[in-house]
Amino acid sequence: MSAPASSSVLAALSPRDTAISGARAQLAEIDESCRGPVLLFFLSGMTWLLFGSVLALIASYKLHAPDFLGDFAWLTFGRVRTAHLNAVIYGFSAEISVGVILWLMCRLCRVPLMAQPVITVAALLWNVGLTIGIVGILAGDTTGVEYLELPKYCTPILFLAFTLIAVWTIVIFRFRREKHLYVSQWYILAAVLWFPWLYSTAQLLLIMDPARGAVQAAVNWWFAHNVLGLWFTPVGLASIYYFLPKVIGRPIHSYYLSVLGFWTLALFYNWNGFHHLVGGPFPAWMITISIVASVMMVIPVIATAINHHFTMVGHFGKLKHSPTLRFIVFGAIAYTASSLQGVLSSVRWFSETAHFTHHTVAHAHWGMYAFFTMTMFGAMYYILPRITRREWPSEGLISLHFWTTVIGILLYVVPLSWGGWLQGKAMLDPKIPFLEVVKVTLPYLKIRTVSGLLLTLGHVAFFANITWMLVRTFGPYREPEPMILAGVGTETAPIGK
Amino acid sequence: MGVITFILIGSSVALPAVALWALWWADREGQFRHADKAALLPFDDQEPVGRMTDVVLNRPSVPVASLKP
Repeated sequence: MSAPASSSVLAALSPRDTAISGARAQLAEIDESCRGPVLLFFLSGMTWLLFGSVLALIASYKLHAPDFLGDFAWLTFGRVRTAHLNAVIYGFSAEISVGVILWLMCRLCRVPLMAQPVITVAALLWNVGLTIGIVGILAGDTTGVEYLELPKYCTPILFLAFTLIAVWTIVIFRFRREKHLYVSQWYILAAVLWFPWLYSTAQLLLIMDPARGAVQAAVNWWFAHNVLGLWFTPVGLASIYYFLPKVIGRPIHSYYLSVLGFWTLALFYNWNGFHHLVGGPFPAWMITISIVASVMMVIPVIATAINHHFTMVGHFGKLKHSPTLRFIVFGAIAYTASSLQGVLSSVRWFSETAHFTHHTVAHAHWGMYAFFTMTMFGAMYYILPRITRREWPSEGLISLHFWTTVIGILLYVVPLSWGGWLQGKAMLDPKIPFLEVVKVTLPYLKIRTVSGLLLTLGHVAFFANITWMLVRTFGPYREPEPMILAGVGTETAPIGK
Repeated sequence: MGVITFILIGSSVALPAVALWALWWADREGQFRHADKAALLPFDDQEPVGRMTDVVLNRPSVPVASLKP
């Protein structure tokens, strides 16, 4: 016989001993339970995205007009660029990820989100910690370690907040009403375990008690590469594997391939970071293992690409109707492209030219924006109407958001990749003075600023649409229940204009 | 440094151990069998296979269910 729910914390966390048991929850019940916490993560994440976009524009403009805002210490390039990176990584990307993770986990486990205040406290803690950190960076207080620039007095707050989130994700899983795991759950569970491990290890070895010499660079690249590949990539792939079949109404092409993709990513990705250190003062075997593991990443990438493509075959016409599908499909294509570009970049002959150039910056944006951010936009287009029970107010703003971000990121990545390659070639030529090398990059840096303007315009359009939707939901005038949402899943839904 | 070394070595042993345990658990629970059933997990009676669930743009004047390839 099971113990009463109040006998201990562990007992309270046991699915057998609580009131949340028995039948699977209805979708509307799950969506309703997620509303507060997920909205909090989405809204704060979007606020960080807008703030980060402004910082990015300033930083980008300074690259070809160095005197711009040069009299303000808070807005010097080193601070603005660093604040941008941390705002979009730990603000936008991480917070949207958590919102998507919670919703996906509840949906796939068929349970409502329980004890929402715990998640709300985690969200508030995360935002407080990050705000302190970003203000610290703008005030000139950074650690100087890439991707870990937030001052060390704010990281315990972030770590505590994420621990709460990770524990609660596992608690949701523990209460699941579905015995079988979907591949998205594998990715999510791994991601919430990997990130605290990466973050705490890097903090210990680089900030709390720093390793000496070249080891710092090794740990730094191990963290920086893995935070993309073992935290954001799994969240992005979990979303694609859920939303792609869900939107088009067709199961994934091969479930076995999807599981193969997960386990091979888990096996190979962790070794990849050192390929950024080609030519550095490290043992050759260390770099070689990293290159081999990077090339082995072809297995999960191709497995995933085949799966996504064959799931979509015959359904491309649905892109016309679904913003979620548009963003998700773009993200899936970008995942394949950026991953294969990453494999190429790891090879010695290529890396010797491309590293230390804008090519690496373009590659990072290819992965973090074209793949991850676009996928998260797609997920938000699906989740927000369901948790608010309101339709998207403006089709025009959706289209504006999609096309500005698609054109913007292509305009960012393609020219900057080429400009970075030319920069690398010029830097390897001892006859070319460094100032001439800088001049080579100028046209590409100007294009980058234009692309930044387009991306920011898209972010503003998206934020305006979300605000409009929320005003309808919570404002004094409440629109009637949405026709499309009410009709989703019914044979006779009247969905004409 | 002693405590940190202990934590780092411990975590680098613990994490692969968790991964191996997850593999063993998944095999024992039959997670790698019945792939056809697992692929259907995003769907249910409310949103079954065969129905598009996100029609926002260029809304057609036909039922959702008829939006098939």
